[in-house]
Amino acid sequence: MSTQISEQSADHNIEEADIRAAREQFLNVVYDEKEFIFTAEQFADFALACGETAPRYTDPSHPDFQAPPTFPASLHPGKRLPDGYPKFNGLGMDAGKAAAPVRPIRPGETVVGRTHVHDIYTKSGRSGRMVFSLIRMEIFDKANNLLASADTSIVIRERPAQ
Amino acid sequence: MILDLHAHSIKSDDGRAKVQNYCQWIRTRNLPIDGFVLTEHRQFDFESDYSALAADSGLVILKGSEVETEYGHVLVFGVATAIRRMTEQLDFTNIRLALTDVLAVAHAAGAVAVPCHPGRPRVGMAAHIGTYGIPQGVSIVETYNGGSRDNEDAIAQALASEQGYRGIGGSDAHIVSHIGRCATRFSVDIHNEAELVEALKAGDFEAITFREQAA
Amino acid sequence: MTINTLRDVQFGEELPVFDPDTGIDNVRRFCTAAGWLGPRFTDHDAARKEGLPGALVPGIMSQGFLAAMIHRWAPTANITTIDTVFRAPVIVDQQYHINGVVTDIDEEKGQVEIDLTVTNEAGETRVFGTATVLIPTA
Repeated sequence: MSTQISEQSADHNIEEADIRAAREQFLNVVYDEKEFIFTAEQFADFALACGETAPRYTDPSHPDFQAPPTFPASLHPGKRLPDGYPKFNGLGMDAGKAAAPVRPIRPGETVVGRTHVHDIYTKSGRSGRMVFSLIRMEIFDKANNLLASADTSIVIRERPAQ
Repeated sequence: MILDLHAHSIKSDDGRAKVQNYCQWIRTRNLPIDGFVLTEHRQFDFESDYSALAADSGLVILKGSEVETEYGHVLVFGVATAIRRMTEQLDFTNIRLALTDVLAVAHAAGAVAVPCHPGRPRVGMAAHIGTYGIPQGVSIVETYNGGSRDNEDAIAQALASEQGYRGIGGSDAHIVSHIGRCATRFSVDIHNEAELVEALKAGDFEAITFREQAA
Repeated sequence: MTINTLRDVQFGEELPVFDPDTGIDNVRRFCTAAGWLGPRFTDHDAARKEGLPGALVPGIMSQGFLAAMIHRWAPTANITTIDTVFRAPVIVDQQYHINGVVTDIDEEKGQVEIDLTVTNEAGETRVFGTATVLIPTA
């Protein structure tokens, strides 16, 4: 897992009942809405740093210039998790990212990201027991057309309770 | 006959491979395996029927499970009726199963439980022997795993050698192009889960790797 | 070979391997553009103090490398989904390979599925995933 997100602490380790309760309370409920406006330079720098060569992502003068397809996966919601979301005892990491572009995101355009918890589950891995929260942001234009969705899989690597 | 005994499809949360694409990949690439076992994480896939796909592709497609215990992950192979009995007695979704329970329930149901990637930190058996001791009832471990890094397979093989375990091989594929990286060679033909269990119990098999060729 | 239409694509075809720039200056440029500036991505010493093996290439940058590889191979391809699982850290200033291989072709939809991996010098997979892309049929 490549990206450490945060250290969390709780007075007890998460139990399966806590997971079931969290699923009932939080799944598919939009908990954050945030507006974004991007610059052409942002898109081009993002693309060029990744080694992108297609001019529609690297050249702001291109008639179809737009955000690189993975750009939506980089967006942060205003709140990382919903208010009242259970605190899991451990180290938060970014375990995976998915992006699904639907329509081009253009520079200078105001877009809205609406975020919900799409799944919560547990498993064990190389680094011990883990709790996964799949966070989905859907990005819309002002006319409410879906432009893209981006999934972030946040994993909390559980630490023994103190 | 050579079978890859450890593969995941899109039925697993982190699996990204469709079973038909595994078949197409094996045939297009002329991989030297005769089939594979789908060992989905924390579940047994009762619903999917791959018999038509197996017939079309000329491959053996079997089903098992990968469950999670205090000693790490464990593959379970067995005829569907045995697995059904096992799932009635064990919650496969529970990531804190006791290895002794998995082994005992598998044994009683006529299935076979095999600790996988035992040399891997945290999810491999070797990492937990210091805490829990040598588990009773293990006779086979996975000694070649296609997802192993560093010296994980070497640790697995040393453990097998020290404890007298037999070794199997599996790719641990989660994407199409990783199928067949490791496998198990049997001296007999295997067409279904019951024959796989019989062959594993007979002990006439060896773990093999194709990773060097594939790299 | 550059792919222009779906007819050029073959099942099992390996995309040209691409060795990305994981140098710290390039990672800083990326993090600035993405709004992900933080010492764990841009400062080896700070990352080590956090218990990491060195500064990390952000997962989204690895994903960007994989998308770039697809467009280098097929400049007109439109990625409709790209899904990556981060299995092990990708470290700044180390050498990696960006790999892809065609694992499904749907001629009716003009759609191709590609297995994606980021591997290190030892050939170990650090990131894996899949992408679905649309390629013009004619």
